[in-house]
Amino acid sequence: MSEKNKKWFSLNLNNNSNKTSTSCGCGKTSGGCKTHNQEELDENVFFNAAVDASVGEQRPKDGIDQVFDVKMDRRTAFKKLTASLLIGAGAVSTSCSTLASDESKEKAQIDWEEQFKGNYKLMSNEEKEATVTRLVRSYQLRTGKTLNMSSVDAQKDVLYGYAFNISKCQGYMDCVNACVEENNQDRNSQMQYIRIHEMKDGKGFNFNESDDNYYHEVPAEGHFYMGTQCFHCDNPPCVEVCPVQATWREDDGLVVVDYDWCVGCRYCMAACPYDGRRFNWSKPEVPEEQINKNQHYLGNRMRKKGVMEKCTFCVQRSRAGKNPACVEACPTGARIFGNLLDPNSTIRWVLENKKVFRLKEDLGTEPKFWYFMD
Amino acid sequence: MNNKNQGYIFFSFFLILVVALTSCKHEEGEYHSIIDKIKNKSKNYHGVTLSSESYLGDDKMIKITEDGHTFLIPERKGKLKSFKCSECHSKPLSQINDEDLKKAHWDIKIVHANEKTMNCLTCHNSNNMDELKSITGKSIDFNRSYNLCNQCHTKQFDDWKGGAHGKRIGGWAPPRASLSCVNCHNPHNPSFEKKWPERYNSQKTKERK
Repeated sequence: MSEKNKKWFSLNLNNNSNKTSTSCGCGKTSGGCKTHNQEELDENVFFNAAVDASVGEQRPKDGIDQVFDVKMDRRTAFKKLTASLLIGAGAVSTSCSTLASDESKEKAQIDWEEQFKGNYKLMSNEEKEATVTRLVRSYQLRTGKTLNMSSVDAQKDVLYGYAFNISKCQGYMDCVNACVEENNQDRNSQMQYIRIHEMKDGKGFNFNESDDNYYHEVPAEGHFYMGTQCFHCDNPPCVEVCPVQATWREDDGLVVVDYDWCVGCRYCMAACPYDGRRFNWSKPEVPEEQINKNQHYLGNRMRKKGVMEKCTFCVQRSRAGKNPACVEACPTGARIFGNLLDPNSTIRWVLENKKVFRLKEDLGTEPKFWYFMD
Repeated sequence: MNNKNQGYIFFSFFLILVVALTSCKHEEGEYHSIIDKIKNKSKNYHGVTLSSESYLGDDKMIKITEDGHTFLIPERKGKLKSFKCSECHSKPLSQINDEDLKKAHWDIKIVHANEKTMNCLTCHNSNNMDELKSITGKSIDFNRSYNLCNQCHTKQFDDWKGGAHGKRIGGWAPPRASLSCVNCHNPHNPSFEKKWPERYNSQKTKERK
């Protein structure tokens, strides 16, 4: 892959170190190593041969090329080879085994390609399609069940926004239930994207004195309720801090996570001023019969242990024109969702005619989640 | 001399003004606030290809236009258990005192405003039970019962027309469909009941340790 059209973020580390010349394969610290370039090419050839040998005829184009079409010296090359192959070893051994069935070979092939795919943000449409197809097939091979996964992109002329009526919310928490079911959240750790805060009347938004884990008849006397979740900031601090660019803002304003690219450092969790992000401390588990099979790559597909996740305004629903599950579930109509760019939308009417405000507006994060009262 | 100085002062003042006015100008694609951005970007709004029509299900909807807002609301008459009312109410209400008649809805208690303000006949038309009536006696169709509510609840009516009150159904994409007053509020007892929350999170304390 040439320098000009380099596409994958993290795999150019070695190129950078060549530029800064802090170290190279021949041990010199300055850029005076003449044999260097020649050696690199040889390594490249070596790698292609090695990979061809290990995976045989089935050598995939997209996944492997990302890893191996990188100029590298012998030391880093072996490091990468060991690390990657350790993970892929199982896959390779199965795919090369004459005893393994066709299905397990295919599964190994999928695992291999998934292991080496790139960041979703940088994928072309065909690559997005390919990874989604692989994930669906993989699920089918593992469970025998089919699911529907989409990779639909943001539509033109759409910017999602949300309004929350704090006079209407009664604290019933139907939204939380709907969200958990829709988004396949871990049932063991009871992960929830939405928090409903019970606040005392006359104290304003006082989060120190609010209760977001109440269990009594609601609405309680002398209290009001307000919900928080990911606010899909237009200037999201969580995106800024991500060291691997596994989270980003889509063109329709949704802040999303590539669960396969996330390394689980939780910087974003620390950077979010709104407690909008959640971490999978354990392997998320959802009983098979409760899994929502209508999925989106960036939305409610199954996550793994050690990655971040959060509200996506139900990307699998919203990009199909539906309301997020919380909006649909709310029995009071306190939640309003819509397209901010449509001058005739209800969300625009709310913004233009009601007295709206946002949380921590002074931070400049520009959340697209407004609160208002009757 | 003085004039010249004044000239300089004016010039520098002008310069500062120009700098102040232009320095806040961001590059293209950058905005001061999200509101600016929304306003600017929606100038060339061409509409979306998505539609929420298929999500409305089989329920019959009627299209209404109120105050420049056009949207769909659920049809009502088809869902009323014993419509038409005139099938039983053939005589005016005052004449139905026959004890042989089957009691149909005598269990209805009005918990809506107080007795001085409202009774059955504030909304129901005793001479024509198939229709409702306004305070001034004008008939109101059951399908458009919001016209009855908006006689008093004008603020809620404004919010409902705009979309701030009343649950939106189907999806965010056009066409807009909203629930009408009576879909959420029982007209005889319009306030929401207290109930237990749908769930309790037993792990939350642990999560925050």
